[in-house]
Amino acid sequence: MGIKVENPGILTTVQDEGRFGYQQFGVSPAGPMDTQSFYLANILAGNKRSEGVLEMTFSGPTLKFEEENIIAITGADMSPCLNGEPVPMYQAAAVRAGDTLSFGMAGGSGSRGYLAFAGGLDVPLVMGSKSTLMRNGLGGVHGRKLQKGDVIGFVKPRTELPNMSARKLEPEIFPEKELTLRVVAGPQDTDFTEEELRRFFWYGAQITNESDRMGFRLQREEPLKHIGDGNIITDGIAFGSVQVPSNGQPIIMMADRQSTGGYSKIGTVISVDLPKLAQSVPGYRVRFVRIGIELAQDLYIRRLQKLDNLERHLGQGG
Amino acid sequence: MDVKILISGDSAVSVQMGSEISLEVNQLVRMLFLDLKRSPVEGITEMVPTYASLMIHYRPEKITYSHLKEEIEKRLAGMEQIEEERHIVKEIPICYGGEFGPDLEDCAAYEHVSTQEFIRMHAGHEYYTYMLGFAPGHAYMARFEEPFHFKRREAPRVRIPGQSIVVQLNLSNLIPFDQPCGWNIVGATPLAICDYTKEDPFLVHAGEWVRYVPVSQREYGKIKEDVRKGTYRLKTYEKAVE
Repeated sequence: MGIKVENPGILTTVQDEGRFGYQQFGVSPAGPMDTQSFYLANILAGNKRSEGVLEMTFSGPTLKFEEENIIAITGADMSPCLNGEPVPMYQAAAVRAGDTLSFGMAGGSGSRGYLAFAGGLDVPLVMGSKSTLMRNGLGGVHGRKLQKGDVIGFVKPRTELPNMSARKLEPEIFPEKELTLRVVAGPQDTDFTEEELRRFFWYGAQITNESDRMGFRLQREEPLKHIGDGNIITDGIAFGSVQVPSNGQPIIMMADRQSTGGYSKIGTVISVDLPKLAQSVPGYRVRFVRIGIELAQDLYIRRLQKLDNLERHLGQGG
Repeated sequence: MDVKILISGDSAVSVQMGSEISLEVNQLVRMLFLDLKRSPVEGITEMVPTYASLMIHYRPEKITYSHLKEEIEKRLAGMEQIEEERHIVKEIPICYGGEFGPDLEDCAAYEHVSTQEFIRMHAGHEYYTYMLGFAPGHAYMARFEEPFHFKRREAPRVRIPGQSIVVQLNLSNLIPFDQPCGWNIVGATPLAICDYTKEDPFLVHAGEWVRYVPVSQREYGKIKEDVRKGTYRLKTYEKAVE
């Protein structure tokens, strides 16, 4: 029967690509914070790119395998060990029944790890998705983070995958202390003067402790000033929307974002840059660079093509 | 019609149909939403109607911003031809006052009317659902007659029970789950506002109308039991055309 959780880690949840189509009913999509590491873990494990994995935050769990399978670990380096021996990341690895997979704390590069299991995790679909949305107690394992004693089954565990020796990538290096995020202005950039917009892009901000799966709250030395009071008629929110409430301190909306909100949004962090923000921790400095929509979409499509190529090269578990 | 197509990053646009909260503007949002639902554009993944705008999430690898913008502009130009939807009114039983509506008496006092008259004012009109947001199934609803004069309570409550019905001015929201809330609570419904086990988990959808039907505590208990057994049938009627 899949895996048994001996130690859950700080915050480990089941996440697939997200729960889409229900934002119109007020349901957050959830899904992985770092989409890139999430996709790579699944591709290495021979899964559909959107399959449910474990997202591990700041530290990883200790899992006992009751069944053999193939796994892949990506994202933050939490020093994974199999039966006490280091196991490489960004590489498909075979695990036997009785093995123990353990993780430590995220050390330097990154804060969120992704653990994919070939054939996927057997958790019920809620509104079409396996993603855990803790705020509403939805999806994953009973709508919550993993606890000691939880048992999660595998859907279709594998003993081998095609091109096993080729299922290996250079580990990603995540920025430390300082990162640059590219932003497309809008939808409410006109709620700010040109001068204030320039200041937003010029001065940057610091990630505060009040940062979680829902959003990253930033602290600027000089709060941003709106032309009005910063309130708008509530409208839709995207992954990466940079809300500026009336206190002038930006909040970047992340995976568990609410579907709608009533604060001005000065811009949106582009999709390809969100993974490095997701891997950041409080205290890091964030700088914003303004780019146009055409370049943002070009970068998005190029990332996708790379993933497609990798997937085609390695093949799926069938 | 002062429409703006606003960029919300590389995978979404917000189509702002006006700059006020009104039935007229929200109906324009509905029309565009319905049109895109009836004849979908390849690449659009989901749409979120709000008071005055329609958020359109899309896949840039399927359709780029400039092509989507063109397509939306085409749809907007043909808005007059879009067939209107039927206006359904859902009847939602509500037990006023007592433990279900701890603020009923205060509210009646604010309005200088008896609780009976207050209930008539609240239950005597149909409410329009502008949008859902904040939490799953959380409906933002308004009536267009006899607004109250009070707003929020001075001190918000840290936690109010799910299934409460809260009010201020002409607004009356359905609260699906326990949450913090600064509005006055006048009653509760025995119906589940959000039930994930159902094929359609949400009691009310955006664009639908609602009428509150006062029920006694005994009827509340009976309906609750029917809901539990799965035998309760929601009553609806078609809204009279004005």
